[in-house]
Amino acid sequence: MPATDYQGSFLGRISIRRNQVMSMEGNHEQELEDLELFQKHVADRFAELAPPSPSQPSDDIPSDPILSIAWIRKLLDVFLCCDAEFKAILIMGRDPSQISKPPLDRLIPEMLDRDVKALDICNAITNGIEAVRHYQKLAEIAVSALEQRPFGDGQVKRARKALTSLITAMACEDKDGANYTRTWSFGRRGAAAAGNNKSTGQLRSLSWSVSKNWSAAKQIHAMSANLVAPRGAEASGLALPVYIMSTILLFVMWTMVATIPCQERSGLATHFPVPKQLVWAQSIIGLHEKIAEEWKKKEKKGSAGLLEEMQKLDKLGQSLIEFTDSFQFPAEDERAEEVSAHLAELGETCRRMEEGLVPLQVQIREVFHRIVRSRAEFLDVLDLNGKSSALAM
Amino acid sequence: MAGYQSVNPNHEGDQHLIAAAHHILKLLGAIRNLSDDTRKLLADLDIHLSIMTGNTINNGGEAIEVEKRLKCAERMVLRWQANQSMIWDTGPGEVSEFLGAIDEVQTLIDSFSGVSVNENGRVRELLYRANNIVQVAMLRLQEELIHILVHHKLYFEPEYVSFHSCRADVIYDESFVSLEDESVEASQRVSNTGSVSGEYIVDLIHPQVVPDLKAIANAMIAANYDQEFCAAFIGARQDALNEYFFVILELEKFSIDDVLKMKWSTLSSEIKKWNWAMKIIIRVYLASEKQLCNKILGGFDTVCSLCFVEIAKATFLCLLNFGEAVAMGSTQPEKLFCLLDMYEVLDDLLLEIDSLLFEEAGSYIRIEFHELLRKLGHSARQAFQELQKAIAADSSMKPLPRGGIHPLTRYVMNYIKTLTIYDDTLNLLFEDQNTEDTHSIVESETEQDISPITFCPLACHLRSITSALECSLVVKSRLYREDSLRHIFLMNNIHYVVQKIKGSDLRIFFGDEWIRKHIGKFQQHATSYQRATWCSVLSFLRDDGHCSNSVLKTSYKERCREFTNAFEDVYKIQIQWCITDPQLKEDLRISTSLKVIHAYRTFIGRNRISDKHIKYTVDDLEKLLLDFFEGTWRTLRNSRRR
Repeated sequence: MPATDYQGSFLGRISIRRNQVMSMEGNHEQELEDLELFQKHVADRFAELAPPSPSQPSDDIPSDPILSIAWIRKLLDVFLCCDAEFKAILIMGRDPSQISKPPLDRLIPEMLDRDVKALDICNAITNGIEAVRHYQKLAEIAVSALEQRPFGDGQVKRARKALTSLITAMACEDKDGANYTRTWSFGRRGAAAAGNNKSTGQLRSLSWSVSKNWSAAKQIHAMSANLVAPRGAEASGLALPVYIMSTILLFVMWTMVATIPCQERSGLATHFPVPKQLVWAQSIIGLHEKIAEEWKKKEKKGSAGLLEEMQKLDKLGQSLIEFTDSFQFPAEDERAEEVSAHLAELGETCRRMEEGLVPLQVQIREVFHRIVRSRAEFLDVLDLNGKSSALAM
Repeated sequence: MAGYQSVNPNHEGDQHLIAAAHHILKLLGAIRNLSDDTRKLLADLDIHLSIMTGNTINNGGEAIEVEKRLKCAERMVLRWQANQSMIWDTGPGEVSEFLGAIDEVQTLIDSFSGVSVNENGRVRELLYRANNIVQVAMLRLQEELIHILVHHKLYFEPEYVSFHSCRADVIYDESFVSLEDESVEASQRVSNTGSVSGEYIVDLIHPQVVPDLKAIANAMIAANYDQEFCAAFIGARQDALNEYFFVILELEKFSIDDVLKMKWSTLSSEIKKWNWAMKIIIRVYLASEKQLCNKILGGFDTVCSLCFVEIAKATFLCLLNFGEAVAMGSTQPEKLFCLLDMYEVLDDLLLEIDSLLFEEAGSYIRIEFHELLRKLGHSARQAFQELQKAIAADSSMKPLPRGGIHPLTRYVMNYIKTLTIYDDTLNLLFEDQNTEDTHSIVESETEQDISPITFCPLACHLRSITSALECSLVVKSRLYREDSLRHIFLMNNIHYVVQKIKGSDLRIFFGDEWIRKHIGKFQQHATSYQRATWCSVLSFLRDDGHCSNSVLKTSYKERCREFTNAFEDVYKIQIQWCITDPQLKEDLRISTSLKVIHAYRTFIGRNRISDKHIKYTVDDLEKLLLDFFEGTWRTLRNSRRR
């Protein structure tokens, strides 16, 4: 069931609810039902993101591989859907004073604080995508050079240089992790020219993507620090959707940080503070475990990010460099044919990046603005409450 | 390779045609006084014809000719490989030689297009060599490009660029809580002489090397090395922009978290920097950058717009995000001026942003700036409403001692006085809103000469602000125990409001009718004060006229004594009260004096009370009345010693 279907039926239901004046009791029942549905929708939506299990024959449409650009875009769609439903439950048709009662009076400001941190992560990721686009362009040079016929030494050298730049850039990105590493200064003279410039080093340390000393890993840590599952009576009340939505936000941001180059990721937590018995969280926990495993491997091995397309660039880039190293003029066309499969795959990867990266950037901006808007809506409600309680005094 | 078949002449007729063309070329080549260019053109054509026929090159002299030319170009290119110095630094002769060699190889490669390399081993070999030369040459060009970009970049110092800014910075750092004196001086609006794009273009690269850069761009793009060109060009220019942003302008990047947690004083200075940076970076730097891209990449429109957007994107987003963060933050009243400044700066730059990001590539950023303008406007409106709320919420349990001007009155009046500088923007922001002008007191609109400004949205909002202030003052006045002091307080404050309005641009917004009405109001409070204080005091002096003479005598003396006591009581209290405006104080004293002295003199004169029963002469009383409303603690005895 596509996400839009949920939204349609559910928004319809909400708008009906808005027009009803209900007794407290009816309201409570309705609320329980809404919460039940919300949990179900969250579980369903994330289940769709899970990779198909190997036991199941994948006879239907091949799904987008986990951590690919297309998959992240789906993840962001899921986030937007959940956020819309969350707000409908918490704000629409509700007496604002309920939000200012404990425990929400504490939980909502905490959530708004997480929102702000998520906004900075969105910006860091937007910047990181610029780096990924840069990798894509380098890969494209290699593809177009190696696809050229007749195929000779010149093309091989051209491709080799682009691929070496690509691999170095991705490795640098991983090492300093600070920002978009530039690899435009190819060759010895160019490097010397850039190196002669006094401010270049200084500049590198200044051009943070977010701000000086900002660390994505720390932000993620701060976002999860006070995230505690509601217990007892709270577990069936409005504290639950706040917890669910905060968990989703944390998961989405954490995934993006792990996937896309981002300022300061070292020490990124792999622990996910969600109790395993929560039914709605099963798919999220499953996805988290899988990604965390990949991340741990990455930390050992070293690569710029878990983005599927980037991993492809890395792998194919390495193998094509090997090919260019062993290439000798005159070309043996048979040898060239050997790599044509790799080349085709690299070309296909570049094509997917070309199609997906800018829309992904735009979508992250959409998420950014959605968070800003949601935050403002909650602040309005809190403000309203502040005023009314001040009047009551 | 499907295309070449059609080119390869199969028909006998075509073969004849090519042979004929060959013949013509040979004849033309025999002409002696041909220019070098023409001769080269003929040679190129000749080679191309040879290749078209497919077989001649294998054995004909043309193959040797091609190889000779290729070798020559190869030597030219490879000569530089071992050379550490840069070609463009060496001399124009070397440059044109090098570019000429590239051009030559490129021509040869182009002329091979349409030949089946698989069938023609000789051609294939030549093509390999040619491609190799191109690769080496392009690598070199890229290095030269970066070298030139890095060594010939120029920066302009911001102080050399003057802006016709809308106004000098309005400083409004007063917070709503602590306020004493009038620290706000509304600065004068300097007329905005309108800025036309292109007015502020500066050189970001030494103009002398721009043709060199263009030549490199042309050569690289012609050889299909446009991706390499873009990577190097964008990278170098991005670094230059970063250096300008961080090192020259000494700007800093902030996370949204930082901005939201910033102290107000820091934030307001960062906002001023943003306003300044927006103008310099967008109006000057990026406009010049775009111009530079156009100069170097003119004719390659897609490459050109792509390069510009890539260079500028991160900086645009950084400026945008700071604006977003400010618009997201709380909207306390004192932030209004900063928000309005930002709004006006962005509004002023929006056309320029539109033209810089005209192409598809940057359109989403362009749209976001429009959206930011809307958000800033919304925040400004909110901050304005916050003022009204803050006025209503400003409550204290203690009355202001001495009945002087309440800090709130000063704050609000200074605040709205500063607001009038932003009248155009505020009217724009309030335009779409339903202005509930219930508070506005412009009743008699029969007069035809009332300025239309009196009815503009801002005017309505200003009147509703002062009306909220009046309400708040009335509430505050109820804290006084004495009725008289209550009236003094209201008189003082309303007088202050009226004076502020009369003496500034606010006058037109409020209109004469409003002012008249409020002058009436404080005068009414003055009258009420006199009634509340003096009626009872003067009642001792009132002439009843119905009592017998002897009774009268004693009771006159008694009444005089009682009057004196009552006067002293009033004196002790009211010299502590305060009327800060000297004119107002003078007026009230005179009218009080007239009333009291007149009654006293009449009473004493008419009843012929002897001096020993009189504690104060009429003159004494007049002098004592001068001590009123001075806000002092003087005792009566001291005053008598004067």
